[in-house]
Amino acid sequence: MKHTPNDKKIMAKMQAGVITYSGFLGKDTRDFNQIIADDEMVLDELGKTAEEIANRLEYFQQKSFDAFEASTLVDKIYEVDTEVVRGYLPCPFMHQGVYRKSYTTITNTKSGKSFTYSALNIHLIRAHHFFEGKKSHFRLEPRELVAELF
Amino acid sequence: MLIRILEDIALMSGIGVILALILVLAQRWLSNYGEVTININGKRDLTVTGGNSLLSSLSDEQIFIPSACGGRGTCGACKCQVLEGGGPILPTEKPLLTKAEMADNVRLSCQVKVKSDIKIQIPEAIFNIRRFNSVIEEIVDYTYDIKGVTFKLNEGQSIDFKAGQYVQLETKPYEKIKQKVMRAYSISSKPEIRDRIQLIIRLVPEGVCTTWVHTQLKVGDKVDFTGAYGDFYLRDTAADILFVAGGSGSAPIKSMLEHLQEVGTNRKMTYFFGARTTKDLYLDEEMRAFEEFFDDFEYVPVLSHATEAENWQGKTGYLMPYFKDAIRDPKNTEAYLCGSPGMIAAVTKSLINDYGIAEEKIYYDSFG
Amino acid sequence: MDISAFVLFWAAIFTGNILLTYFLGMCSYLSISKEIESAFGLGVAVIFVLIVTSALNWLVYYYILVPFHIVYLQYIVFIIVIAAFVQFLELIIERYTPALYYSLGIFLPLITVNCAILGVGLFMIIRQYNFIQTVAFAAGSGIGWLMAILMLAGIRRKLKEKMVPVGLRGAGISLIITGIMALGFIGFSGIVQIQ
Repeated sequence: MKHTPNDKKIMAKMQAGVITYSGFLGKDTRDFNQIIADDEMVLDELGKTAEEIANRLEYFQQKSFDAFEASTLVDKIYEVDTEVVRGYLPCPFMHQGVYRKSYTTITNTKSGKSFTYSALNIHLIRAHHFFEGKKSHFRLEPRELVAELF
Repeated sequence: MLIRILEDIALMSGIGVILALILVLAQRWLSNYGEVTININGKRDLTVTGGNSLLSSLSDEQIFIPSACGGRGTCGACKCQVLEGGGPILPTEKPLLTKAEMADNVRLSCQVKVKSDIKIQIPEAIFNIRRFNSVIEEIVDYTYDIKGVTFKLNEGQSIDFKAGQYVQLETKPYEKIKQKVMRAYSISSKPEIRDRIQLIIRLVPEGVCTTWVHTQLKVGDKVDFTGAYGDFYLRDTAADILFVAGGSGSAPIKSMLEHLQEVGTNRKMTYFFGARTTKDLYLDEEMRAFEEFFDDFEYVPVLSHATEAENWQGKTGYLMPYFKDAIRDPKNTEAYLCGSPGMIAAVTKSLINDYGIAEEKIYYDSFG
Repeated sequence: MDISAFVLFWAAIFTGNILLTYFLGMCSYLSISKEIESAFGLGVAVIFVLIVTSALNWLVYYYILVPFHIVYLQYIVFIIVIAAFVQFLELIIERYTPALYYSLGIFLPLITVNCAILGVGLFMIIRQYNFIQTVAFAAGSGIGWLMAILMLAGIRRKLKEKMVPVGLRGAGISLIITGIMALGFIGFSGIVQIQ
């Protein structure tokens, strides 16, 4: 199916080197709309909405900010660390607003699994249900997120 | 028969040519805005070719309004007051302007197209921002992820800045990266040196510019940048100084210290540098040299994640409790903070509430 | 033909809907029907371009093509006229109403290749409409096209794509929906003869 001119621009923004170094699509050959649709199917199966996941990620990020970005233990089992660097990132979906470059890492001390995400990722998940393409640097698997963080 | 075919072809081509001519004329007449005048602050007049955005028309004339998104209409950093001639507010501007700003004729200069004579108002400080061409003179590895890069300005160019300000570096396309981006870095060399600057650049995951600097840049490469920006700079008073920085936030502090070394001072100064492990410490020798040189300067590195194996003998944990020894008279102390918003918020809160330092005397350069 | 322009106008919307009855203009219809706002913008642009280019093409046909006996070149000439007009329109909108250009202008180049535009132009020739009839017919066709794309956009917004079998998602299900809508519109046929 043809892309609208808007979709073409969004695809261009998601390529490597436009907003981030490796872009938002990783090695995925699918269209971003397809990526979103497939992930939404998984979310449906797991019984969680993207908003719930985004809220949870934001909860951890907030706890980290409360501790002024020092390493902190949340809910007794999650170790959360945030790093902020200078600058802002725009959203590839081309609406207004920029997002702070804060990178949060959560480690589930029980299972050892770790996730890293930026403030932009929280917005992408909440507003666009976009978890990034497979093998992209900040790709978050909905299945793993639900299993480890809830 | 042949004649007939040729005639018909000629006729059709004729129709095509007429239409094309109409379009060309329309294009000339409609898209050509001719020369227009931009009046700045009621004082200066610039004559430019119409049809481009205000942001790019000004930058072509070496006046650089700050922009974080490169003119795409997403960051809102390029706001400026357009008194006359800006046309109606565009739908692409509205989300980034408050009602008060719109009432005040504030517009996004990257969206306003200069189609007729226009009058604008911009802060004087912007006139000092220039574009510089330089060549990489030296690249030093400070730590596993931090490099110090020296940029030597081309012949005839010199930069005028205050210690603490930053520049916007332009990357060049490389590998799969097809466009350039602009990123901000604080100047780490002293303002007395005007034909070269040093930037301290830390490799950030997925960072387009930092990856370019760390993997592509070599001595001898040509690089452009604009500057200097920012209102984080050293104030010329006699008060005691508290410097606080984390990670690559040490750059502007280094610039301030080198500047003070050049002009001489007997102010009491303490520099708290927050890092995670010993691997993240750098410029130790320079700091020790400063301790020798200045009458009253102390360098205090504090590690937050020091491991047993490193055998770190210095201070650990949060920075705030250690300020006690550095502040002898809160009414005569200034603080310069550079780092993440979280660190700055924590330190500012502590300085005001626990130590009684006045809010106006706390200067900061926040990353986010 | 002796049909009143007024009747033609309504007939073009319902009994002879350019999209649901004649299946012209499908490409942009399928791809832009994902969002109602864009669909509306495109539809309005189509109406405007349809009316003007049909009128222009009618004039070109009867005053240039026929007198000079190059009627067989109508396909090429009509397309050239449509393309030129759309380009011209884009320039005007960009200059005088930039706000409109930003929200709508991006669709104009897309309209040039919309076969409904050429289709209406050819219909007016085949059915030998006069000038007023042409304008009424074009306006009605445009409104009919707008209606069809808005309906599909509305349905797609409500449609839970997840319930659709993977192979039919996107174009597949849109075509099926269009077919069902067309079936509905068959109910209107025969009310009035417009050819």
